[in-house]
Amino acid sequence: MSRGEIKEKLKRMIIEELNLEDLTPDEIDDDAPLFGEGLGLDSLDAVELVVLVQKHFGVEIKDMDEGRQAFQSAHILASFIEERLAA
Amino acid sequence: MAIIGVGVVGGFGCGMTDLAGALTQGGAAVKTVSVKTSKGMVSQPALLADPSSLERFVPKRAVRRIDHFSRLALLAAHLALEDAGKLHAERQKMGLVVATGYGATRTTFAFLDSVINDGDPYASPTLFSNSVHNAAAGHLSILLGVTGPCLTVSQFDMSVASSLLSAWQWLDEERADTVLLGGVDEYCEVLGYCRHRLPGCQSAVIGEGAAFFVLSRDAETSPPYGFISDLQIGNHWGRELSTPHDALLLLDACSSEYRQYIRGDSRVASYSPIYGSLPVGMAFDMAIASLSLKEGKVFPSPKAVGNPFRLNIIEQEQDLIIPQFCCVKLTENGQFAVVTLARR
Amino acid sequence: MKRAAPVPITGVGCLCAAGMNLQQCMDSLFRGTRHAAPPTRFETSHPVNYPVFEVHADIPTTALHHGVELGRTSRLAVAAAIQAVQDARWIPEQLRSRRVGVCMGTTVGSAMNSEEFYRQYRQAEDPDMDPVIRFLAGNPATAVARELGLTGPCQTVVNACSSGTDAVGLGAFWIRSGICDVVIAGGADELCRVTYNGFISLMISDDSPCRPFDRDRKGLNLGEGAAVLVLESDQTSQARMKKARSFVLGYGSASDAYHLTAPRPDGSGLRRAISEALNHCGRSAEEVAFVNAHGTGTPDNDRVECRILQEVLPGVPFFSTKGYTGHALGAAGALEAAFTVACLEQGRIPQSVGFATKDPELPACPVKHPTTVTGDIAISESLAFGGQNAVVIFGKEGA
Repeated sequence: MSRGEIKEKLKRMIIEELNLEDLTPDEIDDDAPLFGEGLGLDSLDAVELVVLVQKHFGVEIKDMDEGRQAFQSAHILASFIEERLAA
Repeated sequence: MAIIGVGVVGGFGCGMTDLAGALTQGGAAVKTVSVKTSKGMVSQPALLADPSSLERFVPKRAVRRIDHFSRLALLAAHLALEDAGKLHAERQKMGLVVATGYGATRTTFAFLDSVINDGDPYASPTLFSNSVHNAAAGHLSILLGVTGPCLTVSQFDMSVASSLLSAWQWLDEERADTVLLGGVDEYCEVLGYCRHRLPGCQSAVIGEGAAFFVLSRDAETSPPYGFISDLQIGNHWGRELSTPHDALLLLDACSSEYRQYIRGDSRVASYSPIYGSLPVGMAFDMAIASLSLKEGKVFPSPKAVGNPFRLNIIEQEQDLIIPQFCCVKLTENGQFAVVTLARR
Repeated sequence: MKRAAPVPITGVGCLCAAGMNLQQCMDSLFRGTRHAAPPTRFETSHPVNYPVFEVHADIPTTALHHGVELGRTSRLAVAAAIQAVQDARWIPEQLRSRRVGVCMGTTVGSAMNSEEFYRQYRQAEDPDMDPVIRFLAGNPATAVARELGLTGPCQTVVNACSSGTDAVGLGAFWIRSGICDVVIAGGADELCRVTYNGFISLMISDDSPCRPFDRDRKGLNLGEGAAVLVLESDQTSQARMKKARSFVLGYGSASDAYHLTAPRPDGSGLRRAISEALNHCGRSAEEVAFVNAHGTGTPDNDRVECRILQEVLPGVPFFSTKGYTGHALGAAGALEAAFTVACLEQGRIPQSVGFATKDPELPACPVKHPTTVTGDIAISESLAFGGQNAVVIFGKEGA
């Protein structure tokens, strides 16, 4: 999977699974923060995202320290996933 | 306790006007649900509630993770606060009690789906958090900013009555000046299936919904809906229930326990065809009694009730002066509750 | 708030991983021993085992209702209630002629979540309905009332982690207000796959024995058990010349109104609940001998709780017993109430097991060794999912 495809799949997953039904993938800025400002996700979304990334991409995030790094933006998360898949 | 606002959502619609309309028409729109059995799909009637009007009070984004169960509670609670003129009032001295028979069953089973479908490591934390019984109270307290005491009570048919004890406590001890109290239960396919396998009263249609009240201390001189003037709860161990002679009893006319344990000459009404059969049905009876007190009229029992045990049911609208209403609940294992509502 | 009269506690019953009665539990606590291990009653497919605090012994009573054995949570509740009633020297028949209420906290005991039933249902088989019958018959408060033949009000509190503490505070009101002569108040919860999987999914479970307030704490371990206090009116206990073991002096309850699973960072809900409980009985922070903290071992809870304890009750020794019992959810507050009563009687508190290293972010440390305490009142507190904070104040003396 290319990074572009990962990003697209990721954005759709976030919208659908976290019930952001008023958004389209295009409206999620690649570099905007996912948490706090930007998309406004919170700690419960974060742990849900861990499960979703494992389920949809087969990539494990072992704790929230790692999660905090990976979840900074859609772009960073897609890179993280791409790296783990390649390994 | 003074009743200063009521909000309801159920098979009859949403709000006290819809409730009054259904009572006047003698029924509510029954839907059909399908239940999966080993012999194929079986149809059942159900009185389903629609919480979509919640949008009027809370933006969609704020409720994106909130399930049907909590949305029902949120809607009824907002309607009650609006009805009481307290939608924008201060919340520090407000308490919150939520009564539920079965809790958030759809989410409970959705959580199990996440585990069964994908494996234990893929359990959904959002579904888990929302499946705990006090999730609705949690969402209510967060969205309404209620920082006083919050409580969720789960006791099947006795849930509403027992929650009233706690509301009374908080007002009496001055922990709160008002209490937002309500009952909520939802339909889910599994419950429909259990009803099919473990049938109770055959004419009862399964229901879902929420009924919430804004309660304050008795010092309120003339609350629009009167007062909760008495509460009896416990186990009757075969003794006849004590209810005032001039009260109208609201109960489930299809249950033989009522014939046995209420006074023979009692006037009776039964409204479950309006909201359906659900553990927090007593909250809807309280809403109907409140409406009767406010409007000074007695609604006839819907024809669909039937009267297998030949109780003294009021079947037509009558010019009756009924000073008090007793919402009665009996269970097969001897538990009882009588909640009395009166003008003063 | 109206000032409260003390409510006598005349009996205590308690069973959990630390012991099958209060004496055994207190022995474990003061020896500093604990038994955390992977669950034995169910299996899971997690790559890692998360330890739990399981009750391995047989639960003494097996109540039958309509031919169906009661579920584990209700059996735990009934067992603890019977112990407490015996400790209070009541013969059950005597209770039937009094107004006796039951107020119990639980989580699993009220949840219709039998996985076994649901798996069969999903496959469109006609599942065995016993789990459903068990659920419908098994409401913990109702089960206790039925077993003991009681006639007063029943209430099952489902306030998640603060249920047990709330049940004690709510039950005490029934005595003060004269609704009941005696109240059976407590909590019960069993270990099960649903809560085990649920807390792991939230990433707040520790894969080693929990370390409340420790620098390296990673989360909670689940536990199970039940505890019950017998509360009675002064009139009732004096008439039968039964001395109280302790008293419920005050109760505070306040909400964070912040988040479904995370505590409010400034701890304002807990602060208000402590203040309300002290106000309720007209006591001050300086009089508190010790605090039995919620102390689950999660980074967030322990941080918030410790800061508030240091701010509101500076210098008051505190400990968490969840290192001995795990987090028993609806039973937790009740178990901790039982331990608090025993600690007040003995004038000493156990080490906060699992704590070894101070966390620089936290302003204080729990006690590392069994410690003598002076002072005649103590606090037991619980912080729940949904943001409820519950605090009960216990006292040695009624006056």
